[in-house]
Amino acid sequence: MVTKTEETELNQLENQVENGGGGVWEYLCLVRKLKVRRSELVLKHGLSILNDPGKRSALGPDEWTLYEQVAIAAMDCQSLAVAQNCIKVLQKKFPESKRVGKIEALLLEAKGMWEEAEKAYSILLEDNPLDQVIHKRKVAMAKAQGKPSLAIEHLNKYLEVFMADHDAWRELAEIYVSLQMYKQAAFCYEELILSQPTLPLYHLAYAEVLYTIGGHENLIAARKYYASTIDLTGGKSTRALLGICLCGSAIAQLSKGRNKEDKDMAAPELQSLAATALEKEYKQKAPAKLNLLSSALRSLKL
Amino acid sequence: MGTGTNVELKYEISQNAYIKLVLHSLRHKTAAVNGVLVGRLSPKDEGLVEISDSVPLFHSNLPLLPPLEISLVMIEEHYVAQGLSVVGYFHANERFDDVEVCGVAKNIGDHISRYFPQAPILLLNNKKLEALSKDYISSEKWKDVIDFDDHLDDVTKDWLNPGLFN
Repeated sequence: MVTKTEETELNQLENQVENGGGGVWEYLCLVRKLKVRRSELVLKHGLSILNDPGKRSALGPDEWTLYEQVAIAAMDCQSLAVAQNCIKVLQKKFPESKRVGKIEALLLEAKGMWEEAEKAYSILLEDNPLDQVIHKRKVAMAKAQGKPSLAIEHLNKYLEVFMADHDAWRELAEIYVSLQMYKQAAFCYEELILSQPTLPLYHLAYAEVLYTIGGHENLIAARKYYASTIDLTGGKSTRALLGICLCGSAIAQLSKGRNKEDKDMAAPELQSLAATALEKEYKQKAPAKLNLLSSALRSLKL
Repeated sequence: MGTGTNVELKYEISQNAYIKLVLHSLRHKTAAVNGVLVGRLSPKDEGLVEISDSVPLFHSNLPLLPPLEISLVMIEEHYVAQGLSVVGYFHANERFDDVEVCGVAKNIGDHISRYFPQAPILLLNNKKLEALSKDYISSEKWKDVIDFDDHLDDVTKDWLNPGLFN
């Protein structure tokens, strides 16, 4: 995951590079470090270095890392010829290399040659059965072929071994959500909250899934997690503030006709606090939308 | 989304509404995206749905309810003043060759059609997008499209996309 500071730095470098202000190598290194997906730009600017013999030799041993980075970016942009050329260079320099072998298998994936890619990965796994990247490629291939259940199966097996891989838990949660398997998604977020309880992202995601499942208990729980998100973000999460209002409204709807003992005591104060915070935010940052927000909040109170 | 009556339904979509949705798909090439169609039943012809605008909604976690509910409330509030409402749903699948109308699209489409029975679901044909995209990609207009996801992350971003076609 990328922090806000890192994101700002990345965007600044990106602007600089795109407007001819130099810093291409720094940009490419940052993209690599943060593991973000900026394939079109990496391809464009990476090639500008690789195609210039002077710039290329200035990189020294980093030249090969760049070939690898550009090959992968090229595949993401379906520029398979470019990818093939980069791989040829790497094959020449590092014959018999497993790392190059992985990129070759990736190219098979990019070409849609699924069986061949599977075979290639299986061979690579024989020598290194705990290679996390290859295991994840199997999940990616299942997703790409439109086989989400297979992707889920692979991912669950992966997590039995690598249970501390937070990105994998998130990926699994998102696949479950895309299939509307909300209870399973909730389980994934519970694991994430247990292992990293101070990350507001997980509290927020969990709240949204609970709300989507619905029902009185889940709505009460959702509100708690929206509240903890607000706590962890110092009140800056618009989604969580809106979530509080939505929960209040949904709980009130469900409570119609219920006994007085079940009456939702926390609601009015919490909801008006959230509403006030939202109106303040919109007044400051999006005044043109303030009226819209206010009438939306009013209709939620009904 | 049935007709219910003997009238044959026709749909007219404005260029801007259409282009906005295409640009949204181009901006988030590696994700599924969705949006709503805004318009009204033609006052002159009860078989014609005039789609005059569209609002791009999300590019992540499409099936989750809270952002969807909030967006629909705000969008309806905004357009009711112009005599318009949400009249349909737009969806583009994540994968290149996926032409299925998934569960999410059906659910949201059903929900919208409860309020506007003639509501269509527009599903993007990703393969045709490839041919179309050369003009739009070179202008890089897709970088400017704002959706509701962007707005919720930063309220200064306007999901109405006011300057998009200037």
